[in-house]
Amino acid sequence: MISPSLVLKRAAPFAIAAAIWFAPVPAGLTPQAWHLFAIFVAAIASVLIGAYPLLTSSTIAVATVVLTGTISPAKAFSGFANASVLLVVIAFIVAQAVVKSGLGRRISLFMVSRFGGSSLGLAYSLVLTDAAIAPAFPSNTARGGVLFPIALSVARGAGSVPEDDGKRRLGGYLMYCTMASLAVSSALWMTATSANPIGVQIVREAGLSIGFGSWLLASSVPALAAILVLPILVRWLFPPGVTSTPEAPAAAKRDLASLGAWSRDEKITAVTFVVMVAGWVAADHLGLNVTSIAFLGLGVLLMTGVLTLGDIAEQGETLGTFLWLAVLFALSGQLNELGFMSYAGERLASHLGGLSWPVTYVTLIVLYVAIHYLFVSQSSQVLALLGVFLDVGARGGVPVPLMAFGLLFASSYFSVITPQGGSQNIIFAASGYLKQNELYRLGLFVTLAFLAIFLVLGTPWVLLVAK
Amino acid sequence: MSGRCLERAAVIFFAVLSVACAGAPAASPGSGLHEFEGTWTASGTRRTLPLGEGRTSSVIELEGSMLLSGAGRPGVGFRSEIVALVDSASGLTGRGVWTDERGDQVFSELTGTGTAARNSIEGTIVGGTGRYAGATGTYTFSWQYMIESDDGEISGRAVELKGSVRVGAPPGNAP
Repeated sequence: MISPSLVLKRAAPFAIAAAIWFAPVPAGLTPQAWHLFAIFVAAIASVLIGAYPLLTSSTIAVATVVLTGTISPAKAFSGFANASVLLVVIAFIVAQAVVKSGLGRRISLFMVSRFGGSSLGLAYSLVLTDAAIAPAFPSNTARGGVLFPIALSVARGAGSVPEDDGKRRLGGYLMYCTMASLAVSSALWMTATSANPIGVQIVREAGLSIGFGSWLLASSVPALAAILVLPILVRWLFPPGVTSTPEAPAAAKRDLASLGAWSRDEKITAVTFVVMVAGWVAADHLGLNVTSIAFLGLGVLLMTGVLTLGDIAEQGETLGTFLWLAVLFALSGQLNELGFMSYAGERLASHLGGLSWPVTYVTLIVLYVAIHYLFVSQSSQVLALLGVFLDVGARGGVPVPLMAFGLLFASSYFSVITPQGGSQNIIFAASGYLKQNELYRLGLFVTLAFLAIFLVLGTPWVLLVAK
Repeated sequence: MSGRCLERAAVIFFAVLSVACAGAPAASPGSGLHEFEGTWTASGTRRTLPLGEGRTSSVIELEGSMLLSGAGRPGVGFRSEIVALVDSASGLTGRGVWTDERGDQVFSELTGTGTAARNSIEGTIVGGTGRYAGATGTYTFSWQYMIESDDGEISGRAVELKGSVRVGAPPGNAP
């Protein structure tokens, strides 16, 4: 029996879609863009209000946009051939090899033996590892592919499994800390995500040249503060259940010693992983495609029998993730192509005339972060809106270095606002340790915390060091 | 941490976004000369063919949102698309179509020198459909930036978009 409130909740997305669809098309937009916006907003809103899961809302959305002729099938389904989407799926499957081969247990015992005195210690070990390796990884999705098997192994090693609601919280805590860490470590280093160099190019056209050192100097205080606060904040927002395990390190040391020699599968998985990581690090210099490197790793694991077709068949969640991610990626991209994103950005920004520059600056940053609800890619938003917001800010009297760095940093940390806000999130979101409503709730509050840290600490610091 | 908080935040955000977009009043250009200025943010693709030492030729396709300002603007904005051939030696030649919220269109021919980036491009309005039938005029713009991403997509923002358009009765209907 479905309750009346649930019926209302499930009707709400359709009402939202109809209300926007049949409202007059705003001047300057085409009906096509407006109708796509109606459907996209309804799909996202349905998840936010808990009416339908993301897979349900995205499949209905893509069917609707094609059947109503809003966009062509080729464009609606283009996400299924997108390299970033495929990288997420392959990295997720490859991570299972780490667990299956036994390498994950070894990594887990090692981590617990060093940092396992508390859940906070484990989270810090993951977050700080990410911050340390980030500058070498121009793809934060690939970095997620490295960290996910470690987080998964540590969670499994601590007895946390997604299927048991009581035991999943530690895993969920570690997954979310690592996922959010990818967002803020990308803000710390200029070379930690592909969106950063794109943003730097746009900022250069505004007359501000930013290099590796000047970026790090400007980001260091707010980003490091955010990194340090993150595990404590997430522990407060999403208590892991287990807090202190003083006996765990000694037990893990004993278990690690009893594991004995590495098995054949462990060695193959380790070598494959090291080669993949090396490939991802050197991808830019060697002109290699990061998704192809992941495919090669998966191929080797299948060829050597470390992974089997049966193992892949067991990953039903992966197929669901692939479907909704590919659909949302394509629909968000089409909203951008049809000019809706820049239109919305320009319209929102155009209301800021006559405000003092500090108010203009804060408002622009908040709007820039909030509008990421509509994007499924960091780079797309940087390309569509960073230049627009920078221009509006500069014309509103905001110092260009402050506006530029504010937008550049936001372009990284806003990715955690939704599970689809950055492709690196998806690997963790699909782990099953966190429910979708938890991901959206944590996304909102962690993003607000990052926003506050970057505004309160970052603003005076950037004004001091960036000229 | 309540789920209601998230619901409220989502409702407020999407409501603000919808109102901000829908709040633009539809303009109905009367006949006569309309001066305008604005911006155009666009994305699309570029296919480049090397033509020997130091010379390239590219075919670009761009589409995006053009927003106009000024009391005499013919409309709040248009969806703007262009296709162009850019030769680093001989310049740019292209065609543009602006489409408004009613589906009425403005057609133009584009010329420029050098590459697409960092150049002043001139457009000549050569007609249109619906309320822009028979439109004539000129406009210029230059690229503030034009960036190519890893997947071959290009994105750019045109600023200093200025021009004028004369909107009149369609040929044959004029008094």
